Amino acid sequence: MARHAQSILDLEPHMNKAVRVKCVGGREFTGVLKGFDKLLNLVLDDAVELMRDPEDTDCTTSASRPLGIMVCRGPSVMAVAPNDGYDAIANPFEDAEEDEEEGDAE
Amino acid sequence: MFPLSLLNAATDNQILIELKNGFCYNGLLVNCDKFMNVNLKDVTLTSKNGQEFWKLNSCYIRGATIKYFQVEPELADRVKDDDGFSGGGGGRGGRGGGRGGAARA
Repeated sequence: MARHAQSILDLEPHMNKAVRVKCVGGREFTGVLKGFDKLLNLVLDDAVELMRDPEDTDCTTSASRPLGIMVCRGPSVMAVAPNDGYDAIANPFEDAEEDEEEGDAE
Repeated sequence: MFPLSLLNAATDNQILIELKNGFCYNGLLVNCDKFMNVNLKDVTLTSKNGQEFWKLNSCYIRGATIKYFQVEPELADRVKDDDGFSGGGGGRGGRGGGRGGAARA
């Protein structure tokens, strides 16, 4: 067991808090983290699947479906982020791009 | 220069990571491991089509889903100096030992 490196992911601070999980294949879930192990298997309570655009299966829509309590299997987890502070924003690069264009024009 | 040496050198620096699904994560690299799993903070997430954006306080990305990462060009100069020490050699030795153990068991 000693050859398993310590995971750099510490989920302990996220216990009993809402997290957002992206899975391989494009499914996305939010739920309250109730447990995890070193393989990144996650137990999510009050889980909600964020439904995807049928035309573009990488993009979520505003639709969702409740799943209740679920286990999200580690190998299919792609990214984990706290749901708190996860917000859609306007293009943050737009100003920078405009500045660059102005600079080029000069 | 090992790829993971560059990633290690990028710790505490701004990094851009594109995943296999085309989504781009722009943020401060908190830490990383030998699987290229990374922790980012103050992240801007850009959708595949480049039209949607999200702000994330922090996020963990599994190394296997990364397509590529980009770092500031100055980092390349800094990583050359400690090439022999970081990651590479020690990592290989460690894994070899692990396999030997498994074979005996």
